[in-house]
Amino acid sequence: MAELIGSLLVLAGAVFHFSAGLGMLRMPDAYTRMQAGTKASTLGNTLVLAGLAFYHPSWTLKLVILICFVLMTNPVSSHALARAAYRIRISMTPQTVVDALRDAPERIRGRS
Amino acid sequence: MISTVVLSTGLALILIGVWGMLTHRNILRIVIGFSLMGTGTHIFIVAIGYVANGTAPIMDRALNVAEAPARAVDPIPSALVVTAIVIGLAVTAIMLAYAIRLYDSKKTLSIDAFTESKW
Amino acid sequence: MIRRAAIVLAVALFGLVFANLAAHYAERQSLLPLAKRYVELVPRDLGAANVITGILLTYRAFDTLGEVAVLFMVAAGVGLVLAARGRRNESSPGEAPEPPRPASEIVQTGAQMLVPLIAIFAAYIIMNGHLSAGGGFQGGAVIASSVILLLLADPHRRLDLDFLSYTESVAGVLFVLVGVAGMIVAGGFLDNRVLPVGQFGAFFSAGAIPVLSILLGIKVGCELSVIIDRFRPELSTERGSQ
Repeated sequence: MAELIGSLLVLAGAVFHFSAGLGMLRMPDAYTRMQAGTKASTLGNTLVLAGLAFYHPSWTLKLVILICFVLMTNPVSSHALARAAYRIRISMTPQTVVDALRDAPERIRGRS
Repeated sequence: MISTVVLSTGLALILIGVWGMLTHRNILRIVIGFSLMGTGTHIFIVAIGYVANGTAPIMDRALNVAEAPARAVDPIPSALVVTAIVIGLAVTAIMLAYAIRLYDSKKTLSIDAFTESKW
Repeated sequence: MIRRAAIVLAVALFGLVFANLAAHYAERQSLLPLAKRYVELVPRDLGAANVITGILLTYRAFDTLGEVAVLFMVAAGVGLVLAARGRRNESSPGEAPEPPRPASEIVQTGAQMLVPLIAIFAAYIIMNGHLSAGGGFQGGAVIASSVILLLLADPHRRLDLDFLSYTESVAGVLFVLVGVAGMIVAGGFLDNRVLPVGQFGAFFSAGAIPVLSILLGIKVGCELSVIIDRFRPELSTERGSQ
């Protein structure tokens, strides 16, 4: 029973990883590609590790710590990449309607 | 069976790297293709050392000293690959330094702009 | 057109050779005689639980020393190729490089949290070289990644290059000195029995292998940090001091 739940979670994680890869290929510009790559793959990671916790219940604490590490590092690196892309003025796809960073006050935006 | 799958993955990565190096015109993408080819080669070398139903040659709770020669996987390709990864890193660093200098001279990253060696 | 056809032909020929390789591959059923000797010898004579680290740091330790030399040459080569850049930019003051902007708050906070954790992880990998998967090279690379994170979070930070080069030279000299001590006291160059082999699987065991792992990790970490530092753009305040 625990193995069934674990297998389903790992399968869901694999589906999210696949959608991350698909999104990186099909999205129109750099920012949307970064968003697809980071969000979907972080969630995929979390689900796979959670599924492993059902397979090996003695590893649960280590897997929870791993999930915390992944949540700490993956979004930070993606944020740094996206800010850098914005500052060297990579163009956005014309379907973008809101540019929150352009309208943000100077204190938040830095000098860009 | 497992090692055949891993072997084929390594060979597929080498093919993708070679294709990438030959097709793209952007210098950085050529460097990425080279790095892919190197990774594929490392995977291939490690896959050759697999022994059927073997496990890693590390003696801990899963593998004790007495049964190690019967069940361990070949350690020599793994040792070679540790060295090879560092050398691959070194070559990639030098290639990127060259890419920076090339960009400084012509202000473009496309190798079509560098025609001095063509005849 | 011809170029594209030639590319397809080349990749197809490679693919044929590789398919031939993969089709005629059969898994080995037992180890090669040399590998069997290594797997028997390393736990018995060297007392190391990780056969690969035992090979890399004792039986093939001379290759590891050569590899450290390769890393040093790369650091020197990258410095040479990129050094002429700064001087050339001085002579053509057409476009001054923009001063580096401070990183955003998320990256700075994340770096403050993560750099100590990464350093602890690197130390763990280095010290586990002889017990479980790990080793000097791997730990050194993780140290260098923590240095990258520091440099990303604070672009104005200048690494103390004198300290790094001094540390890496001292680590290299100590590595060779341990090797020479192996020639004097034990079986040969870089033999790990200069220190007591100890109990199998204990933290301080396998003779000189932990010491060699630490020295290797320090040296590789400093090398990679210096290489990464060379890739950064010249800070405008630094040019005046050169």
